[in-house]
Amino acid sequence: MARYLLKRLLLAILTLWILATIIFVVVNVLPGNVGRQVQGPFASEETVRNFNHAIGTDKPLLEQYGKAMRNLFTLDFGKSYSQPKVDVTTIIKKDLFRSTKLAILALVITVPLGIFAGRFAARRKDKLADRSVVMLGLATSSIPEFVTAAVLSYLLCIRWKFFHVFADPPAGTSVVGQFRYLFMPAVAMVIVYFGYIARMTRAGVINALDADYTRTATMKGLSGRRVMNRHIMRNALAPTITVVGVQIGYLFGGIVGVERVFNYHGIGLEMFTAIKNHDIPVLQTAVLVIGIIYMLSTLAADMLIAYLNPRVLMEVKR
Amino acid sequence: MDYKAFDRARRKSSPLQLDLVEAYAQRRVSRREFVRRGTLIGLSVPFMGAVIAACGSDEKTTSTTAGATATTAGGTATTTAGSTATTAAPATTTAGSTAGGTPVKGGSMKIASQTPSAPLDPVAMADLGSYGIVAQSFEFLCTLGDADIAPGLALSWEPNDDGSVWTFNLRQGVKWQNGGDFTADDVVATMERLVEAKNAGLNGVLDKGGCVAKDPNTAVFTLIAPNGLFPYLVSVFNAQTVITPKDYALGTAMEDKPDGTGPWKLDSYDKATSAKFSPNPNWWGGSVYLDSVEWIFSDDISTQVSGVVGGAADAIVQFAAVGGDALLNSDEFTVLKARTANHRQIWMRCDEGQFTDKRVRQAIAMCLDRDLMNEQLFKGTADIGNDHPIAPVYPYFDDSVPQRKKDVEGAKKLLADAGVSNLKAVLNAPKLQEIPELAVLVQNAAKEIGVDLQLNIESTDTFYNQWCLTYDPICDGGQEFGIVDYGHRATPDVYLNAAYATGTWNSAHFENADFNAAFKEYQAALDVDGHKAACKKLETIANDEVPYAIPYFYPSLAATSKKFTGVRVSALGQMFVDTAGKVS
Repeated sequence: MARYLLKRLLLAILTLWILATIIFVVVNVLPGNVGRQVQGPFASEETVRNFNHAIGTDKPLLEQYGKAMRNLFTLDFGKSYSQPKVDVTTIIKKDLFRSTKLAILALVITVPLGIFAGRFAARRKDKLADRSVVMLGLATSSIPEFVTAAVLSYLLCIRWKFFHVFADPPAGTSVVGQFRYLFMPAVAMVIVYFGYIARMTRAGVINALDADYTRTATMKGLSGRRVMNRHIMRNALAPTITVVGVQIGYLFGGIVGVERVFNYHGIGLEMFTAIKNHDIPVLQTAVLVIGIIYMLSTLAADMLIAYLNPRVLMEVKR
Repeated sequence: MDYKAFDRARRKSSPLQLDLVEAYAQRRVSRREFVRRGTLIGLSVPFMGAVIAACGSDEKTTSTTAGATATTAGGTATTTAGSTATTAAPATTTAGSTAGGTPVKGGSMKIASQTPSAPLDPVAMADLGSYGIVAQSFEFLCTLGDADIAPGLALSWEPNDDGSVWTFNLRQGVKWQNGGDFTADDVVATMERLVEAKNAGLNGVLDKGGCVAKDPNTAVFTLIAPNGLFPYLVSVFNAQTVITPKDYALGTAMEDKPDGTGPWKLDSYDKATSAKFSPNPNWWGGSVYLDSVEWIFSDDISTQVSGVVGGAADAIVQFAAVGGDALLNSDEFTVLKARTANHRQIWMRCDEGQFTDKRVRQAIAMCLDRDLMNEQLFKGTADIGNDHPIAPVYPYFDDSVPQRKKDVEGAKKLLADAGVSNLKAVLNAPKLQEIPELAVLVQNAAKEIGVDLQLNIESTDTFYNQWCLTYDPICDGGQEFGIVDYGHRATPDVYLNAAYATGTWNSAHFENADFNAAFKEYQAALDVDGHKAACKKLETIANDEVPYAIPYFYPSLAATSKKFTGVRVSALGQMFVDTAGKVS
C-alpha cells in the first residue's frame, strides 16, 4: 500500500510540474502588455514600465520560467498583480475556503442521492422506476450547469424569493444561515452530477447482482440487505468512486458558470477574473491548486477502491 | 425689469460674468442655463438670485429655488434628501431618486457594482467600478449638483477676465480622515500628479506648476490657454480629479492607504467581492442617514440586475436597457436615467483606403437606421446622433444642422457618384456592451446599399491592447473601418481634440483645417454665444465630412429600490449615497 501511495505521489509531482509548465506557456501567449492591462489605459508609460520591471515581465522568457519554477518549488506564489499588496496565497485561501464549502455541500447532497437512486433503479431493472431514473439522470446531466443555475436563480431566488440570489453570505452568518445562501448553487451542481453518479451506481449494481459471489452469498442464506451492503455495494461502487473523485476536482474549478450566476467568489470565478485582469500569479496558483485537488481526490478515490477491493492492490503488486 | 438692480449687478461682474448676465437679461439663455453656467463661472447664489429677480421671471419656479440647488447640493444630507428628480433631468447630467416619504436615520444599503479592474489609484483609475468606490471617500473641488456641478471642496471659484486664471476658494475646517487639515497644498499636489499622469481632461489645459497655493484656503490655476469651462475639468465629471492628500504619490492606491474628506470611510475592501463603508463622523457636510454602505462587485451586468431584483442589493450603479426589463418595468424600483454624451464612433479612414472619398463615408452614414438602433439596442432611451460628437445634452448643442436619416437610394447615388461599386470592407470592433450588435446592424444596413461588410469582433483586451496602444495614432490598429467607444465627458473637448483635431485617438486620421480652426474658436470662447457659434461650425464640418458615423448617444441607467430615497448618480455613472436613506 505504501509503495503504491509513493508511486502515485511521485507521479503527481511530475504531473504538477508539467501542469505548471503548460500554465506558464499558456499565460505567456495571452495577448497584451501585462503592465498596461493591470495598471489600466490611463496609467503613464513610466508606471507601466516600472510595473513590468518590478514583476519581471520585461525579462527573457526562460529567466521568467526559471523564476516561476523556483517560486513553485518554494511555495512562494508572490503578490497578485491586480492587488499588489496582497499575497496570492491569501486570495487563493479565501477562494478555496468558499469553493470547499460549496463543493462539500454539493457532494453531501449528490453522492448519497445518486447512489441511492442508482441502487434503487438497478433493483428495478427495466421497470418504469429504472427507466425514470435513467432518463432523469440523462436529462439533467445534459443541461449545462449555468443554464440550470440561471433557471433556479430566476424561479427560486428572484421570483419566489425562497433563497438568496447572491450566494456569498455576509461575514458572521451562522452555519444554518450559510446553508440558505449556498443551497441554490449547490442544487444547480447536484442536478448536473446526480445523473452521472446514479447511472454509474446502477451499472455497477446490475453487474454485481449478476456476479457469482452474489449468488453464493444469497445461497449461503444471508439476508437481502446484508448481501446488498456487504457484497454488492462494496464491489459495485468502484466506478462510482472514481467518478466522484474526478468530479471533486471539477466541483472546485469547473463551475464558473454557477459561481457567476450566483455571484459566488470561489476559485473558479477567481480564475475567470484573473484571466481577464492578466493576474498571472493568481491564475497560475489557482490552476495549480485545482490540479492538486484533482490529483488528491483521484488518489483518494483509488485508495478507497483499493481498500474496498483488495484485488486492486494485488494487481499493483504483481 | 428692475434696471436699477440689474445695473448694480452688472457693475459687480467681471467681463466673463457680464456676458452671461447680459445673455440672461436678453433671454438668450434660459434661467436654468443661467444658473448652470453662473455656477460654472463662479457667480454666487445671492448674486444670481439678484439678477434673476431684477430681470423678472417668466418661468414657474422661483429664483431662490433655482439658485439654492447650486449651494446645497453636496451639503448636508438634510437639505438635499428627497429634493432630486425622479426621472431623467432633461439637458442635465444628473439623476436622483425620491421614493416619496422622508429618509430616516439608520439601516444599511447594498449597491451592486462593476468590479474595479485595477488598484484604486485615483489618478490612474479607468473604470466605473473604481470611480464609484473612490468617490465615496474622496471629494472633488466641484461636486455633483442637482442640475450640474456645485461647490464641493471649493466653496466658490472665479475666473480672471479672459478665463485663463481661475481662483478656487476652498472650504475651511475640512479634515482628512487620517487627521490633518485639508489645505490648498493638497490641491496643488493632486494637480501635479494629474498633470504628470497626463489626465485626459487636463492634458493641454494645465501644465506642471500651473496650480499654486495662494494661501492655505486658496488655489490658483493658471491655464495654458483661456478656458471658460475649466471648473468642469476639476469636477465630478472628470473622475480622476478627486482631491487626495499631499502625501499620496503616483501609484498610491486607496485600498492601501484609505483616507479622504468625504462622507464615507472605507472599512474593508476585497477586490473580488465587496467594499464596505461606514460614515465619516467628521465629514464637513454633517451626518449621513445610513449606518453603512456595502458595494457588492460582479463583472456580469445580468448577475447584478438579478441581484437587485432578487433583493441581494438595493441599488445598481449601471445597467443596460437591453436585459434590464426587470428593472425598467418594475414598480419596486426607481430607474435613474441620466442623459449623457456616451457614444460610439464608427471610424472611416480619411487619408487612405476605400473611404477617402467623403461621399463613400456619407453613404455609409446615410444607410444607417438610427431609430432602429435606438429601439433595438436601447429600447428608445438614447438620443439620436448626427455624426458629430456634440451630444444634445450639451447646452451648446446646435440642432440646426439637418439630421441625417436613412436614405437607401440617396446612399446608393452617393456611392455611384463616387464611382464605387461592390465595396467590400472589414468592420473591426471590440466585444463590449452593445457594440457587437451595433456592428451587425451596420452590416445589415450596408448590405442594402450593396456594401459587403465582414465583421471582426475582438475581445476588449485584444482590441485595446493590441490595436489602440501599439499603433500611432492609436485606436485604429492600422485598419480603415471600425467602431470605438467613448464615455461621457462634461464637455466635448476630449472628443473634439483627441478624435478629430490632435490625432491622439484619431482612428479616422481626419485632418481638416477648418475643423481645427473652429475647435480653437470653441476653446477660446468664454461666452454662451461664442461656444454655440463654434459648435455649430464643428457640427457642420463633422456631419459633412463624416470621419466618424455617430448614430446615438445613450443614457446612463441606474436603479434603486423604492425603499430608499436620495440616491444620486452622475452621467459618468458614479453613485452618491450621502443623502440616501431608508424611506420612513
